Formats: sequence, structure tokens, C-alpha cells
Amino acid sequence: MHVVHKPSTGKRITLAIFVALLLLVASNFVDEYRIFQGAQVAAYLVGIVSIVLLTGFSGQITLGQGAFMAVGSYSAAIVVQEFGLPIWLTFFIAVIAAALFGAIIGISAGRLTGPYLAGATLAFAVGIPALANAIPILGGEQGLSFDIGYAPGKYADTVSPYKWLFWICALCAIIAVVIAVNLTSSGMGREWRAVRAHETAAALAGINPARSKVLAFTVSSGFAGLAGVSFSATVGLVSPSGFTLSLSFLLLTGAILGGISHISGALGGAFIIVIIPTIFEMWTEEASLGVATYLPGIIVSALLLLSIALAPEGPSEALHKLRHRSHRKG
Amino acid sequence: MNLINTLIAGVSIGAIYSLIAFALILVWRSTRVVNFAQAGQAAFSTYVGLSIEKAAGNYWLALICAILAGVIVGAFVEVVVVRFIVKRATSAATATVAPVIAMLGLLGIFQGVMGLIWGGEYQPYPTAFSREGISIAGNQIPFSQFDLFVLLTVVVAMSISALVFQRTSLGLSMRAAAFAPEVTRLSGIRVSRIRTLGWAFAGGAGGLAGVLVAPTTFIAPNSFDLLLVFGFTAAVIGGLDSLIGGVLGGLALGIGLSVVTGYLGGSYTFMTAFVLLIVILLVRPQGILGARGARRA
Repeated sequence: MHVVHKPSTGKRITLAIFVALLLLVASNFVDEYRIFQGAQVAAYLVGIVSIVLLTGFSGQITLGQGAFMAVGSYSAAIVVQEFGLPIWLTFFIAVIAAALFGAIIGISAGRLTGPYLAGATLAFAVGIPALANAIPILGGEQGLSFDIGYAPGKYADTVSPYKWLFWICALCAIIAVVIAVNLTSSGMGREWRAVRAHETAAALAGINPARSKVLAFTVSSGFAGLAGVSFSATVGLVSPSGFTLSLSFLLLTGAILGGISHISGALGGAFIIVIIPTIFEMWTEEASLGVATYLPGIIVSALLLLSIALAPEGPSEALHKLRHRSHRKG
Repeated sequence: MNLINTLIAGVSIGAIYSLIAFALILVWRSTRVVNFAQAGQAAFSTYVGLSIEKAAGNYWLALICAILAGVIVGAFVEVVVVRFIVKRATSAATATVAPVIAMLGLLGIFQGVMGLIWGGEYQPYPTAFSREGISIAGNQIPFSQFDLFVLLTVVVAMSISALVFQRTSLGLSMRAAAFAPEVTRLSGIRVSRIRTLGWAFAGGAGGLAGVLVAPTTFIAPNSFDLLLVFGFTAAVIGGLDSLIGGVLGGLALGIGLSVVTGYLGGSYTFMTAFVLLIVILLVRPQGILGARGARRA
């Protein structure tokens, strides 16, 4: 598309390792609360990537990504509780469970378009917490505890729990981003974009649009499952109140604000949705509790609305177009 | 007798689903936007009603004010936001996504503003009628005076709408603008103004639905999310293009869910609605009563 030179997989992995080391070092110079927020950013980042894959690349809107996150988190919490599996294994289980679930949903939802798909995924997001409440093994309103514990062995004393949490979430996020970037620049990503652009034309080119859409749902849900388990690790709990409609909306907002058609925008989006409430917390320390609770939501929603009205592809895309305006029309 | 009781219990909540479905369909027909912000609009109108009720202590004044608030908010949303979004959303990647997301942004703003003004707690909404089941020949049935009031109000509101749509020139313009905007414009009708009117009508219906359902669900900034989903399901059952289909869809959904709740338990209610929504979308996307070949996107 716009970029002529795409780095190879090897270069991406080198870059990722470099970023990981940088974060590892940087986390020693920041206070605990910021480290915790870093873990939040990492968890949201994965969630936003899952939306970018599905909506930005495959062109299927999802208002219910929180539901797929819930599926991943609950599977992880259950295998810990029932079978006592080690925590690291639960991350894989969460991804697989959510992906399977996404495949099942995708088979039906992949045939829907536009507002119908939006409505169905919305119903899904509203329903999953209610459903989790109804199934006894899921622990009802209290939910299940999900504790990633302390760093192993001799590091348990030197590495604070928050730092450990941040390292795990950041590692997940880095792996997720590398995989997502590779996927989207592979044949699969091109197929998704082709189906998004024109289903019939894509079919003429030998792509099976239905299969491509279900695959996108599956992959995206797998990412959402990973996001869910990271998110639950930051909360320490898997409960219905963690996966509300507002979580799905918040992630979608992050995806739109970061730029829905680029994986790289996800980081910006994740930062925005974590930072805006923080700024308001600092500003409104003396103000009433209501302002601190609701104003960030209003601002984020207003940003979302403005972004859709003024730059439907997201601010980053708009900037990109502005820079290249001299090269093309409009 | 038990089955009849369950059926009766579903009628009044079904009537409220019908109102929401009506509001969603009215907007969808004219603008091709599913108004997900309707949950926020309805809650906002209901809060206005509640404030009036608290200040003046008059249920009827509050009801009328809530409907008026719904009308004003509906028109405001169309003029200030929707018009702009629909005009701008032409880019290929976001053409179908943009209106949906814009409506969500709007919903977020509504819910935040409501939280700022009225707080986040669930508040009770008063009724003018008893909510005790009526006794017939010594048997108490699960249908109260209030349920009767809800049903009658919805029937009256729908009858007025039907009269407006079928018997007035304004209604004719609205129907024409929904199905052939270009031709309507050519015959000298200001389609954009008619569209604003449609959103205002829908907002009023949402406000009425909010006041009618709030005594049952209580009122909080996001307490109508589920109502929106059920209203959407009802609208889809009827086919998003048919007002009468949506009304019947709402009643059918209300009664159907009441039967499921009565026989299987409350925890299956939502799952039934969700499965129903998916099945109908897959098997008969034009709805039970929708015209053949209705637009799918």
C-alpha cells in the first residue's frame, strides 16, 4: 500500500526483542502505579489489536469483543481452579478457548453485515455477563479469582508483583503485535482486505469470502482471549462486572482513535484510553466524585464521535493522508 | 390456566419492546442507521420525567414531559450529529461501520452526561397504578392495573401513529421519504426535514417506553441497554423495514420470553432472545413480515 519497504519477519522479531529489553530496563525507573498502568495499556493493546484485525482488516464490525475476552478469562480461571494448571499454560488455553468460541460465533455472524452484525455482537456483549451469572461453576457475581502470583524463584523478593504483572502483560502484547503484523502482511491479511474491499471481486480472485470471514473471527477471538486473560491478571479477578458493554465500547474507541486500519495504531489507542481517565483523576482531585467518574467517559465518547465525523479512518490515517496530499487527489 | 397466566404476563413487557422496535425501525427506514443511542435517549427522557415527577409530584405531567424530552432529543441528535455523519461516511472501509460507531459514541456521551447530572445509582420510578395482580373471580392473575395501563397506552400511541402514517399528508411524506427519497425530493418535499421529524417521533416513542418500563427495571444511566437489545431483536423479528412487523415482533418476543422465563427460569431469558436473534438473522434476514428482498445492509 503506502509503504514500499516492509521489514522481514526476522527484523520484526529483532525489533520486538529490543523493545522487550527496553521495557524491562525502563520498568525499573518508574513508580509502581505507572507500572500497573503499563500493564493495563498492554492488556488493552491486545484487545484493540483483536478489533483492528476483525473490523479494520476483515471489515466486520464488532461491538462484543468484551464477550470473547470473557470467554478466554473464564476458561483460564476455570482450568486454574479445577485442574490447578500452571498460570503460563492458562494463557494458551485462554487463546484456544476464545478462538474456538470465535469460530462457532463466526460461522453464524460471518454471514451478517453492517447493522445486523453490530446488533448481534452487541447482544452478545450484553448477554455474556448475564450468562456468566447464570452458570454456577463460574462463581456468579463474585466471579473467580485469577492471581498470577509472584516472580519465580529467587526473583520473588526483588521483583515487585506489579513489575511481574507488567512483564507478563507486556510480553503477551509484544508477541501478539508481532504475530498480528505478520498475519496482516501475509496472504491471509491480503485475503481479508480483499474481502473487505469487495466480496464478489475477492471471490472472483479465488478467495472464499465466507471462509475468510470465519477465519478472521477465529483469529480475532484468539487475540481477544489473550487480552481477556491479561486484563483479568491486572484485575486479579474474573467476574461478570469486568466484562461489561463499556469494556467492549472502550476497546472499540481505542481502535478507532488509534486508527482502525493499522496494527501500529493500537498502541496509541491503548495509551489514550488509559491516559484520559488518569489525567482527569489528577485534575479533578478536589472536584466531586461524579465529575471524575463520568467526565472521562464523556470525553472519550466525544473524541470517538469527532474522530468518526472528521476522520472516519482514525486520526493517524487522517494525518497520513494529510502528509501525502501532494501526491494524490483530495 | 398456568400457560394463560404466563402468556398474559408477557403482553405488557412485549408492548414496551414494541415501542422500542417502533423507534428503531422508524429511524432505520428513513436514515439507514440503527440508532444504538436510543437506549441513552430513552433513559435521558425518563430521567427528565423523574425530575419533573419529583419537583411537581404529578405522574401525568412527568409522562408528557418525558415524551417531549424524547422528541426534542431525537430531533437534536438528527440535526446535530446524524446528518453530518451520514454525509461524511462514504469512505469504503468505514461506510457501514461509521454510523454504528457514531451512535455508540453518542450513547457513551448520553450515559456520561446522565451520570454527571443524576448519578449512577439505580433509582425507582413511581407509577400511577397498582402493580398488584388483578383478581378475577378470586384468582389473582399476573397482570396488574399498571400492566393494563402500559398496554392501553402503547395501543393508543400506536393507533395515533398509524393514523398519522396512513391518513395524513405528513404521514404520506414520511413513508415516501423513507422508500424513495429522491422522488420525494423531486415532488417538492424537504426530505431532510421529514427525516428530522422521524427521529423526533422515534425519540418520543423511546421516552414513552422508558417511563413505562422504568418502574420495573428502575432507572440508571445504562439500565436500558438490555431493553435496546430486546427492542432490536423485536425489530429484526418483524423485519427492520416494517413498522407493524416490529410492533408484532415486540409482542411476540415479550410473550415468548415470558413463557421461557415461566417454564425454564429467568437465566434462560436472555439466551433465548440471543439465539432467536441469530436464527432469524440467518434464516430470514428480511424478518417474518418484512418485504421480500428487503435491504440486507
